[in-house]
Amino acid sequence: MTTNTRQPQSAWALLADIVGGAASVIKGHVVTLRNWLRPKVTGQYPYRDPAKEWVPKPGYRGDFALIHDPERPGGLRCIACMACANVCPDKCIHIIGQGKGKERHPAAFDIDIGLCMYCWLCVEVCPVRAITLTPEYHNVAFTPQELIRDINDLKARGEGIAEPLLPVPIERSVLQPPTAKKKDVSEA
Amino acid sequence: MSIHTIGVIIKDWLIGLLAGWGVPVELSRLLIEVLTWAVGAALCIIAIMLAALVFIYLERKVSGYIQSRLGPTRCGPVGILQSFVDVIKLLLKEDIVPAEADRVLHTIGPILFLAVSALAYVVVPWDEGGTVAGKVDAGVGVLFMAAVGSMGLIGIVVGGWGSNNKWSLLGAIRGAAQMVSYEIPMLLALMCVVLQAETLSLAGIVEDQKGSIIAWNFLRPWMWLPVVLFLISGVAEINRTPFDIPEAESELVSGFHTEYTGMKFALFFLAEYGNLLLVALIFSVLFLGGWLSPFGYPDPLRLPGIIWLLAKSLLIVLIVMWVRWTLPRLRVDQLMGLAWKLMIPAGFVALGVMCAVIMLGWA
Amino acid sequence: MNEANVGTTDQLIVNMGPQHPSTHGVLRVALTLDGERVVSADPDIGYLHSSMEKIAERLDYRQYISYTDRFDYLGAMCNEWVFVRAVERLAGIEVTPRCEHIRLLMAELNRLASHLLYFGAMGIDTGATTVFLYCFRERELILDLFEWVSGQRLLYNFLRVGGLRNDLPDGWVEQCHAAMDALASRVDEYDTLLSENRIFIARTRGIGAITAEEALAYGFSGPCLRGCGVPYDLRRVDGYSLYPELDFEVCVEEGGDCLSRHMVRSRELRESIKIVRQVLARLPEGEVNVPVPRRLKVEPGEVYERIESPRGELGCYLVSDGSDKPWRMHWRAPSFYNLAPLDRLCRGHWMADMVAVIASTDIVLGDVDR
Repeated sequence: MTTNTRQPQSAWALLADIVGGAASVIKGHVVTLRNWLRPKVTGQYPYRDPAKEWVPKPGYRGDFALIHDPERPGGLRCIACMACANVCPDKCIHIIGQGKGKERHPAAFDIDIGLCMYCWLCVEVCPVRAITLTPEYHNVAFTPQELIRDINDLKARGEGIAEPLLPVPIERSVLQPPTAKKKDVSEA
Repeated sequence: MSIHTIGVIIKDWLIGLLAGWGVPVELSRLLIEVLTWAVGAALCIIAIMLAALVFIYLERKVSGYIQSRLGPTRCGPVGILQSFVDVIKLLLKEDIVPAEADRVLHTIGPILFLAVSALAYVVVPWDEGGTVAGKVDAGVGVLFMAAVGSMGLIGIVVGGWGSNNKWSLLGAIRGAAQMVSYEIPMLLALMCVVLQAETLSLAGIVEDQKGSIIAWNFLRPWMWLPVVLFLISGVAEINRTPFDIPEAESELVSGFHTEYTGMKFALFFLAEYGNLLLVALIFSVLFLGGWLSPFGYPDPLRLPGIIWLLAKSLLIVLIVMWVRWTLPRLRVDQLMGLAWKLMIPAGFVALGVMCAVIMLGWA
Repeated sequence: MNEANVGTTDQLIVNMGPQHPSTHGVLRVALTLDGERVVSADPDIGYLHSSMEKIAERLDYRQYISYTDRFDYLGAMCNEWVFVRAVERLAGIEVTPRCEHIRLLMAELNRLASHLLYFGAMGIDTGATTVFLYCFRERELILDLFEWVSGQRLLYNFLRVGGLRNDLPDGWVEQCHAAMDALASRVDEYDTLLSENRIFIARTRGIGAITAEEALAYGFSGPCLRGCGVPYDLRRVDGYSLYPELDFEVCVEEGGDCLSRHMVRSRELRESIKIVRQVLARLPEGEVNVPVPRRLKVEPGEVYERIESPRGELGCYLVSDGSDKPWRMHWRAPSFYNLAPLDRLCRGHWMADMVAVIASTDIVLGDVDR
């Protein structure tokens, strides 16, 4: 229940109230005027000034890429060990492996980024650091089918990427540094 | 050759044309009179619409700049075509009437709102010796403006009731209560100016302020209270923040126009900005010398009076927009309290002061 | 409510939400109005229910961290923190000092971001749209920091059991300092526009008032409880993590109304800036991760871990049966308890106050529904 407990006001108190209220209102206007004159912060996103366009820092979890290794069959570092497919909470990675032992490589590698929640766990568990997320954030499409990245797409996106992208050197993250590569492969 | 002479020439030509077809001169004179009025009214409404479109654009820019944004930038250079494009979009949109709504009331609500808003423009003096309606002013412009201005709420109530939506109904009731209440301080402020100018004609009020900026009403100390009262109640009349409770977005979704889409919504929207311009115009006429130049009469710059009038109105519009994007909204009871407990007594005080000033012979 | 009045006028039942501009998501309130007075407000929750607790039972500890971001999406770092703290306590893992500092830093930055959003929402709900944009402008500075370090702006998935995804990048600390300076210079502006504005004070003072006893009985926590004059802040009460070593004030306001809750958050903004600056100044060097087995199995047992999230006491109750997945997991979500007395808070007030009350409890529907 609201109770109207307003007491009778003296004329001076009323006047002070009006003046105080007006002062608080005018102070607010000074603030908005000051901000009127400040530089604007709007980033004009598509197609305006490419130099001003937002470029995420490395380590941004955008689209996927597979890292190349020209010495291996298929040209990819991936050994089709299924670690990423198993850890994925959304089960959006589908891999078909080919070959035995050192020759093992993925014949198909599909990621449904419409399902993906961009948690980065696939990068984290990969024993050979073969998959990464890139700062590419223009991953929109008209149909769900276009959101499925296949192996060729992922390979093309991995052009020029040497190691999984992070804002810091790999040694300072949860990823296994490259020196521990051998041990991890055997573990997997 | 002035517009007036062009009009006379066209009229004569039409009468001659009709006479050639065998129409009696009396009838053709009447027909042409009606036609002139119809064309004038249409032009007037189109002009208001255009002004409203410009103000919608201006509002978006002003709010953007106040809020560290850029506002519309994509349609045309610096987004200048944005509101035109928006209106085209609204025209093309499907007009949805809720299933249980009163179709008739739902339709006439926005029409009434816009018509009333346009009607009040008739008495605004644009330039020396001229209103939109020519000499129709007849010395009662203030009365006409006040009478017509208070009819705007009929459109709101009709639209809000006809929508058959509880939010709309609440908005309409709030709007009715608010607009009725704020009429009173507004009229009290108006009365002060009328007493000062000793005429009910808006043109006469401007004549009374003839001279440079120091002769204008807002520089007379006994006019300061009416200036504040008129500005506040003017903002409240046109339902803008901090008095936008009839359409309070965060409370009533959209208030009385929740159920409107397409062109009907556009009518409400345009009329609202038309009202904004109207209040700014009336304010300029009452307190800022209307079409007078600030540098003295006659204007040393020789600009048409309408330019000065619009410039002054633009200033008022900018201030009203600045207020809108700064202040929070009042609650409905606080709003009524402000009107009845503060502004109406203050209006009477202002009126009393004005009377005293006249009796002392300072006016 | 005047009893005689009820008999003579019809009551109006309106359905506020789940699609309504100011129910902060998908809250539905069945409002009974007498004129514009609220006779009763019956909150109806569950529109955003996503089985967060059940999902935990089929995911291992590492996988579930990214789900913790998703219920109280405005305090994601705090959610992650309480979850990894619970797991670490069960598993007996000690994290490195640098890691602990960075976690605390993230939690405080997240509190800043969340309170800024609260300021904006409160502004927009009372009609002051501009504050909303200003707060988002400054919140952006913090989100940029999060984006740089964790790779995303809202759902960070940054904390790991036993450490962090990665260390702070070079230059991050400097940018954080700059962001805090920028923010500190702007906080006064929000106060001028909202807290000191006479219209805002008139809208919030005495609205939705609740006494300390009632608030405790309803299970209030966080700024809502501190607004009732109870100096209950888990950062001081529990003294978890590094908080006992830091210099900050527990903000308490008497009154228990919307304005007090608002003022608590307004002062907490300044306190959090203070905390962030202290932590940045004493950030130690060293490793951030301790070795943790890939497939973490914890001993059977149960644990209740709680921290002070931006909205109040955020608790994580975890039962382990010795496998790599939780056997049962329960969240003590502060928004749920803060929403509970909505009817009590709104009854008899105007309908417009209802909006201010909902905004001042700062609920997140994802947190309420889980």
